[in-house]
Formats: sequence, C-alpha cells, structure tokens
Amino acid sequence: MISFATVVERAFTGPICTERDFELGIFVPNLRKVVEKYSIKYDPQHPVPADDDLADRVWAAAMEFLLETGVYCLDTERRILFTQEEIEGALETGPRGHVFGEGKDAKAMPRRFPEDKTPPWCSVGPTSSPVSSELYYVNLVKAHAENPLGDSITIPCLTHVDGQQIVGGSPLGVEGAIRAVLLTREGMRRAGRPGMPIVNGVTTATRAQEHIAAHHFGIRQTDALEIGTVHEMKIDFDSMNKVAYSLAAGSLIFAENGVILGGLAGGPAGVAVVIAAYNPVDLLLLRGAVQHPFPTHFDLGVTSTRDSIWARSLANQAVTRNSTLPVVNVGYSAAGPMTKMLLYEHSAWVIGSVVSGGSVEVGASARGTALDYTSPMDPLFGSEVAHAVAGMSRKEANGIVNALLEKYEDKLRDPPIGQKYQECYNVVSGKPNQEFIELYREVRREMVAQFGLPFKFTVLIPGGEFYS
Amino acid sequence: MSDESIYERLGATIIAGDKDKLLQAVEDALREGVTPSDIIEKGMSPGMKEVGERFTRYEIYLPEMMMAAEAWEYAMKFLEPKLLEAGTERKKVGRVVLGTVKGDVHSIGKTIVGAMLKMSGFEVFDLGVDVAASAFVTKAEEVEANIIAASALMSTTIPQQKSIIEHLEARGVRSKYCVLVGGGSTNQEWADSIGADGYGRTAGDATALALKAVSKG
Repeated sequence: MISFATVVERAFTGPICTERDFELGIFVPNLRKVVEKYSIKYDPQHPVPADDDLADRVWAAAMEFLLETGVYCLDTERRILFTQEEIEGALETGPRGHVFGEGKDAKAMPRRFPEDKTPPWCSVGPTSSPVSSELYYVNLVKAHAENPLGDSITIPCLTHVDGQQIVGGSPLGVEGAIRAVLLTREGMRRAGRPGMPIVNGVTTATRAQEHIAAHHFGIRQTDALEIGTVHEMKIDFDSMNKVAYSLAAGSLIFAENGVILGGLAGGPAGVAVVIAAYNPVDLLLLRGAVQHPFPTHFDLGVTSTRDSIWARSLANQAVTRNSTLPVVNVGYSAAGPMTKMLLYEHSAWVIGSVVSGGSVEVGASARGTALDYTSPMDPLFGSEVAHAVAGMSRKEANGIVNALLEKYEDKLRDPPIGQKYQECYNVVSGKPNQEFIELYREVRREMVAQFGLPFKFTVLIPGGEFYS
Repeated sequence: MSDESIYERLGATIIAGDKDKLLQAVEDALREGVTPSDIIEKGMSPGMKEVGERFTRYEIYLPEMMMAAEAWEYAMKFLEPKLLEAGTERKKVGRVVLGTVKGDVHSIGKTIVGAMLKMSGFEVFDLGVDVAASAFVTKAEEVEANIIAASALMSTTIPQQKSIIEHLEARGVRSKYCVLVGGGSTNQEWADSIGADGYGRTAGDATALALKAVSKG
C-alpha cells in the first residue's frame, strides 16, 4: 500500500479545482454515470437485499467512481487521485484482524461476510451523545462496560467542564477531551473492564490538538481514534493531522464515513456506491483498521429509515464480499430511551447490518443530539439482537426488518422522545428503573414471539437483574 | 410558440438544472416578445417552486436543488439588467447571511438550507464553513441582510451560535436581524437559551421561519 506521506504529497500536487466544480462538475456526474451503468436501483420492498450480483455491481461502480473522482482536499483545493493499482494494492495488503483492547478485554476484530455465523463485534455506548454531568458520564460508561456482549465502548460527549460549556478549538475543548478520557477509564475500571477498548476517541474533541491532548491522558495503542472524511469524498488537514498523529503514536483508527442520504450522493443507490467507494479511501487516506459508515437521512437525521437501511445493507454486502477491511456500522435512531420504538429502530438497522456482513456500534438514541437522552439498556438490546441474527439469511432478515419498519417508520418525523438518563435510571446506584426493565422484557418477548429471534444468552441487565 | 409552451420550457429547464438550456429558453422567450418579468414570474418561478416541492417529497435531492439554483442565478444575471431597463427591478423576498460556525466544517445541512431559501426567493450570501462570529455580522451589515442563519453540527461548536448573538449585541445591531439557528446538536431549548429568534430542525423549517420573519417586516 502506498504510504501516507505519498497521499499527503498528492494533497499538495493533485489537480486543482474549486469545491463547487468538484461537487457538481466531478462528483455528481461521475456518480450518476456509474449508478446508471451498473443498474443500481433502490428497491423499497427489500430493505435487506439478497442479491450478490447487485452487491458486486455496487462494488464495481464504487471502484470506477473512486478512480475517476478521487478525494477533494479542502485546504489545498486539489484532488487526491489514486490509480487502479494503488486501490487494488491497498485492498490486497490492508489490515486484517487487528486486536483491540488489553488484557482479558483484548479481542481481534472479525472480518465477516453476508449471512456469516461469526459473532459480530458489538461496540456499546452513547455513541457521542451529549451528556451534561460527570456523574452521569462515569455511571453511563460503567453500565455500558458491564454489558457482557460489549466488545468495545463508544464514549459520550461531555458538554461542560466545571460549569463552563465546552467550546471546540478552545482550552475548554482540550480540557473536555482530556477529562472525557479520564472519566471513561474510571468508569471502565469500576466495571472491572479496564482493558476494554475505546473506539471513538475522542468524542468530546473537535480539533486535532484536542485529540492529541486527550491521547496523552489515557488513549492506548489498542484503542481507536475516530477520524472521518468530510461529506462527500472530501478531507481537510485537521482530519489528516489526526491521521498523522495516530500513525506516529501507533494507535488504531476507526475510519468514519457519514454519508448523507439526500445530500451530494443523492438517493439510496448513490449512497450505497459512495459508502463502498470510501472503503479503499479509509485504507489509503484515513489508514483505518475499520470502516465505520453511517448513512444518515438528510431530513430525519437518522439511520433507521427504509432507504438508509437498504443503502447500508447493500453497501455492507458489496464491501464485505470484496474487501478485508472490517465494517462496524453505527446507528442513529429517532426515538429516545425507554420507548418501544427505539428498540424497534435499533433492531431494524442492526439486523440489516449484521446479516450483510457488518458488525455494529449501538447506538445513539434521540438522533444522538438531545442532551442526556441516552441509556445503557438500548445498546444492550441491540447487541442481543446482533448476536441473535448472526448466521440468519438475508431473506429472513428482510421479512423481519420490513415488519419492524411497519411498526415505526411513520413516526420518524415526530418520534417519542422517551426519558432522560436521570429519569429512567437511578443516577446514584446506576440502575434502571423497574418500568424500563419491564419494557425491555416485553419487547424481547415480542421479538421472540413475532419473529422467532433466537436470543442466545442469559443477560445481566446493568444493575444486577438476571433474566433469560 | 404559445406563451404557455414558452413558460413550460422555462420551468422544465429550471427543473432539469441545465443553465445553458435555460439561458437559451430565456433568449428565445425574449425574442418571442415575452417580458423579463413574465419570464421570471410565469416561467422560472413555477419551475423553482416545483423543484422545492419535489425535494420535500424526497423525489429529488441536493444535487438537483443546487443545479436548479445555479441555473436560476445564471439566468438572473442575464435578466436583471433587462428588468432595470424596463424599470421593473425584481424585489427579493429578503437577504440571508448563511454559514456554518467557527470550528465546524459540516456543510451539507447548511447547503440544503441555502438552496431551499433561494427556491423561496431569498438572496443568500453563503459564507461557507468555519465562519467566525464577526464575519456573520460584518457580512450582514454589508449587504443589509434581514436574517442571519447559523448552522452547527457538534455540541462543542454550538456555543459559536451564541457568540454571533453576542457580537451583534456588542455592535449594537442585534435588533436589526432575525437570527436563526440549526444543525444536528441544536434544538428549540438551545435556541431559546441563547436568545435566537428561531430554530429550524429541517431545511423546510428554516425556510418557513425565514419567510415568517420577512413577512413581519
């Protein structure tokens, strides 16, 4: 694989063009051309498609699109272009089976295929959702770390330090990022899982200097910094600086691609192609150990819509059949904690992802943006579902996802917000209230009765209550 | 060619986002004796309205919106001198200074809002991303804007929206502008807490708020 230094050099020497010309003169026409050439068509009746030929056409379209389009560097206003040999070289020699975490919590990230029985990697946590208090922060991390199916943690975003609102790029941002890492380490220690890997380091950080500062206060080489491209097929020096630092520090990278459904990539067919095209970009430019896509609906702000699930499922199949870089899907759902709808939403996108070869990061509730609307119960449910459907056929999964979508898709615009963490949990003991436990049990029973979901474990709800 | 078919052609080229074909349609319409004002009001504007409606129905997406808006602006550069000659300068619905706040490089949501505002007849001054609070204010003063619209995606960048309001207050011009905020980490509660005049969760919300603001004067 070509070196990162070579990629950086191309950011300074690649063809010059304006951002507007890249968007409307290069990106959009190139994408439209390959979507038509390879007959990529959205099928709303099959949110989880089961067509290997279609998946491979998406991959072929994506490689052609990437070759002709490249990645736009916002700071130099130049395109970073890759040759076919470089793309193929990256796919052939990219990372495989990286171990995340330390001690008894260390585990290799699996490469999975569509309909694979290999258990998916489950990252659990608030997925960067904003949290207002350090007490909530530590208790949330502890409860997520107690999830027996959680392989890694995705930490929340701290919004205040010492009563002051954190402003990215300021000293408050540096302190907030450092404190977030220290609080996370303490929460995991309290859960007895000090080696559990953090995979969204460092969510409270905005700028590279904040990532770097926080790294020195508890991010390890077996954790991952989360570094993203800019919508769509763009990069800036701040993100490239994070990559440069991670490479020097020897840390792993979760390469994040938040494609906007309805944005420059257009509809679901374009989104599927762009997600697949990001896979070699994540290797060559972001130097990722994992591809971390989340196609988010432009209007609803979630990844649980029918078209988003289709695009993600199809892209997963395209990628996992053709690349060794593992995929961990992250989801943003509309409903808030302690609602049935949230559990349906998480289940739908998790099922689509897992049977299509992905692993999962569960997950954000209330669009991941409402202050304190997060709970450890929802990712627990999502990870139970993820393990239950490993090995399920895409056809069967499609039927379940269709039925789940019918339960919630008409409510996505005005979803139930549910309860804040401090309302559905006892924040001192860190335990969920009884009503929440009953709701969890009820939906779990429903998933068994309606869909025959084979839950595989007797799970300990954080707070100490067993059930099966 | 009948007036109806001339207007249909103008609308269709706007919807297609083809600026060269639109300009050709405009020139042909002028040769047929259609006034610049009718070209805009009866041909191009209905086309723009249709684009906006298709977008809200998820039938088209951002690229089609951007191309339609570009085609509109391209044709208007040609038509505006002719409107002036005819003494019928077209009144804008209002002027909006738009941008993503300092420290934040997320542009898609802001760009969608900009395109929808243009569809609704606003003159939009898009400052791009990572925009300093003072730059919003300076531009608003320069172009005599009605509205300042600031986008922020992250919970660590939304404080910059508050900073814009503080800069307006420091310059003593807060009451001149309607300040709208939006973006993933914002909500009505946040907008209220910083003294913004409105919060738009979606581009459609932002446009409705902007129209309401200018209708109040």
